[in-house]
Amino acid sequence: MSSMRTRKPGGSLAVLALLVAALSLLVAACGGGGIEGGGGEKEAEQIKLEGKPSGELTISNWPLYIDKGTVPAFEQATGVTVDYKEDINANESFFNKMQPLLARGESGGRSIFVLADYMVPKMRQLGYLQKFDKSGLPEVEKNLVANLRNPPFDPNREFSVPWQSGMTGVIVNTKKAPDVRSVCDLFDPKYKGKVDFLEEVRETVPLVMKCEGVDPAKATEADWMKAIEKIKGAAESGQIRNFTGNSYIQDLTSGNAVAVIGWSGDAVQLQVESPELEWRMPTEGCMLWSENMLIPVGAPNPTAAEAWINFVYKPAVQADIAEFVNYVTPVEGVKEILAKRDPKLAENQLIFPSASFTKKCSPTPPLEGEEELNVIKAFDAVLNG
Amino acid sequence: MTTALRRRIVPYFLLGPGTIWLVVFFVVPLYFMGKLSLESGSVGNLEFSWNWSNYSEALSAYDTQFVRSFLYGGAATLLALLIAYPLAYAIAFKAGRWRNLMLFAVVAPFLTTYLIRTIAWETILSDESPVTEVLKAIGLAPSGHVLATGGAVIAGLTYNFLPFMVLPIYASLERIDVRLIEAAKDLYASATQSFLRVTLPLSMPGVVAGTLLTFIPAVGDYVNAQFLGGAGNRMIGNVIQSLYLSQSDYPSAAALSFVLMALIMIAVVIYIRFAGSEALMGEEAR
Repeated sequence: MSSMRTRKPGGSLAVLALLVAALSLLVAACGGGGIEGGGGEKEAEQIKLEGKPSGELTISNWPLYIDKGTVPAFEQATGVTVDYKEDINANESFFNKMQPLLARGESGGRSIFVLADYMVPKMRQLGYLQKFDKSGLPEVEKNLVANLRNPPFDPNREFSVPWQSGMTGVIVNTKKAPDVRSVCDLFDPKYKGKVDFLEEVRETVPLVMKCEGVDPAKATEADWMKAIEKIKGAAESGQIRNFTGNSYIQDLTSGNAVAVIGWSGDAVQLQVESPELEWRMPTEGCMLWSENMLIPVGAPNPTAAEAWINFVYKPAVQADIAEFVNYVTPVEGVKEILAKRDPKLAENQLIFPSASFTKKCSPTPPLEGEEELNVIKAFDAVLNG
Repeated sequence: MTTALRRRIVPYFLLGPGTIWLVVFFVVPLYFMGKLSLESGSVGNLEFSWNWSNYSEALSAYDTQFVRSFLYGGAATLLALLIAYPLAYAIAFKAGRWRNLMLFAVVAPFLTTYLIRTIAWETILSDESPVTEVLKAIGLAPSGHVLATGGAVIAGLTYNFLPFMVLPIYASLERIDVRLIEAAKDLYASATQSFLRVTLPLSMPGVVAGTLLTFIPAVGDYVNAQFLGGAGNRMIGNVIQSLYLSQSDYPSAAALSFVLMALIMIAVVIYIRFAGSEALMGEEAR
């Protein structure tokens, strides 16, 4: 302390000068990075295949979204070494962590991301995706199910190939909440404080719209806001206990929640240990979604990346994945293979839903530009109470 | 090199590592955050534009969460103080040969990570756990559940930051010259009087340091609200996280971070003024 007090007045100036000098050097070094990018739509880079796949391949996917055998089988078949990362937990947060890299044309060493439908147009417009060379994807061409071939966000499947699809509906504890059959039932005061909603704005809000009789595909901003108001009321009254991602699983198994908005594949896996839990198709219908394999800008080894996408579209390979993850498979011919292995699985409507089962379901509704910003802002205000 | 010159230079060399650390890990990020907080546009097309409205808009949109954060943080600090002081006192004066073991017990939770400990509380407080049944029976859970309430968040914050309160108070109590307390008794002070007029004032540096070490991280915390809170218990840290990671609104998130920093600074300055800087610095500042 005493040395501080007897310091000469020039001292602090010298330190300040040093600070400024170091700072300006660093700023100069880091300059140009930042998160600014040019405006407007960009011409997408086209993938150029280079002979046979080889080398290393890094894939980012969601946890528990693949069986244990597929990666080694691919490595054996192609000689490519795979680093398979399970580091995606939410679409937006993964995108926002990667965005500063993508803006510089880098992908953090990853060659494949698996992200939701609505991320596809968003990333394409920012110039963050590469266009496939379809000559490397004959299995996709052959086996992709018909209803996913021409989605509005990527009409010719030039940037995205579905990994798995699924349904968002309600998961109920059949002992404690036997009569919950719709999204509207989740607002029943009988279940106050025992209901979780998903944090996903594009799934929770459209489901509530359907409860109100609004078709999400034709919803106006006012419809979105009205549904958000309804959710807000339920959150403030204590009807909704919490907004969750995958963690509703814990609330369901520990008895904290008796009915939640949840994903079909989770329920199939949950039933193994907790047979009283059941995914139900809401009487209003469900939300349908897919998550897609994308090749980002700056992806190393796009040749191996395309080889991977092509590989998982072989029905025999996909059958292993489908058997493990229990979501809806986008590959034709898998049902026939599984019917031989495990007939019960092949009959499960959650894994191979029939057209009549999903009749009232809606795809992820379009939400863009100013409207998207306003809706997300309003919904996040509810999430953060 | 002359001795005089060397004397002038040596302190800077000693300050060097600390200064570089501070510049690289605090000043530089702060500069980028400041720049970001004044940008406008959407992600991918952000531009620097002295956009001060980020501040006013963020503040008016999230004032509830600011107030809530300070309430939760303040309540947790107060609770931690009420629990920590008797504990530190017992360890310093009454523990005898158990002292080291008790100190270890205070620090032991640090051997597992913060996140795991908080998630463990999620299980302990879940609706059908024995703990919750007891709390319900004695009327401490009016809403029928403990998890997903503000009380659970405050309890989590108190639990997680308690060691930061205990250790400084213990350190200052332990340094007290026992002869001073004996002197108070010789002068016919009662136990209460000698505590209030001798022990407590002498332990104030520890109390002030402990409250600061608890209050500052508690206000900015988001993990406890995330796991133990419910729909209406999110704190400002959760808002900043969701602005960055779900809304892609980097400028507002950066602006909120600055406002949070400023508010905490103001609160701390007022507190130190009130408590007296001698209390924080101890003898040296006098």
